[in-house]
Amino acid sequence: MKTKRQIQKEATRKLILDTAYQVYADEGFAATTNKIAKAANVSHGTIFVHFPTVECLIICLLERFGSEINEHLHILSEKDENLETFLAAHINVLIRYEDFYKRLISEINSLPQEAKYVFINIQSVVSFHLNQVIEREKDKIAIKDIPMHIIFNSWLGLIHYYLTNNYLFTVGSVLTEHKDELILNYIKLIEK
Amino acid sequence: MKTCIACGMPMKKESDFAMGDTSKDYCVYCANSDGTMQSFEEKKQSLINFTIKTQGLDQSVAEKAVENMMRQLPAWKECF
Repeated sequence: MKTKRQIQKEATRKLILDTAYQVYADEGFAATTNKIAKAANVSHGTIFVHFPTVECLIICLLERFGSEINEHLHILSEKDENLETFLAAHINVLIRYEDFYKRLISEINSLPQEAKYVFINIQSVVSFHLNQVIEREKDKIAIKDIPMHIIFNSWLGLIHYYLTNNYLFTVGSVLTEHKDELILNYIKLIEK
Repeated sequence: MKTCIACGMPMKKESDFAMGDTSKDYCVYCANSDGTMQSFEEKKQSLINFTIKTQGLDQSVAEKAVENMMRQLPAWKECF
């Protein structure tokens, strides 16, 4: 059984991660730990008790984010999803984290190397599910003879373009507003 | 929810587990045909191949990303 102290410690760690998530989503990854501490209403030093460096904080945050995406997509994959419902599930997951994800894809090149590897592994989960769906759907729909990585990267490229250029398409959530259009036309592009 | 000790995949339904055995700590994708868990080298190579196939990464980048991921998993703690 956890002691009161352990429960408190875990709660503070979660509070820091939740707050960092929101601050980074709002301001980008250049936001200072001082800002995160203030927003979380904890002392600056408390952050470093839980995360020795900013790099550690960002990596923990990305790992948590990756696990959440992993869990959501896995639960959805239990149902017999087809290509269309899988792509919708992917977009729906991203809509939940849209502001944070937008920052992440815009700033990934300036994040620490280890964070980049975590990012790759987040995408691996998506590519794993997409690959499974494509394999399963082969008999039902004819997919053009395109390598799997081009199928995946084209999908990612499409949604990342809309996300990073949100302002070109809408003032609201670009994924919410363009979801159906993106899915429908992406399938047309890869279908024979 | 259990997660696979060898690849981190969430395991919820029976078919997620190696041999459909929910007492196992690793998933169907990390098991050999006899139900034993794949070795570190086997798993690493299959993850690298899969990452290259599905994301088109450069071999060295795929290797590092896979190692980075495996380092966090309970099954491979002693391999690093």
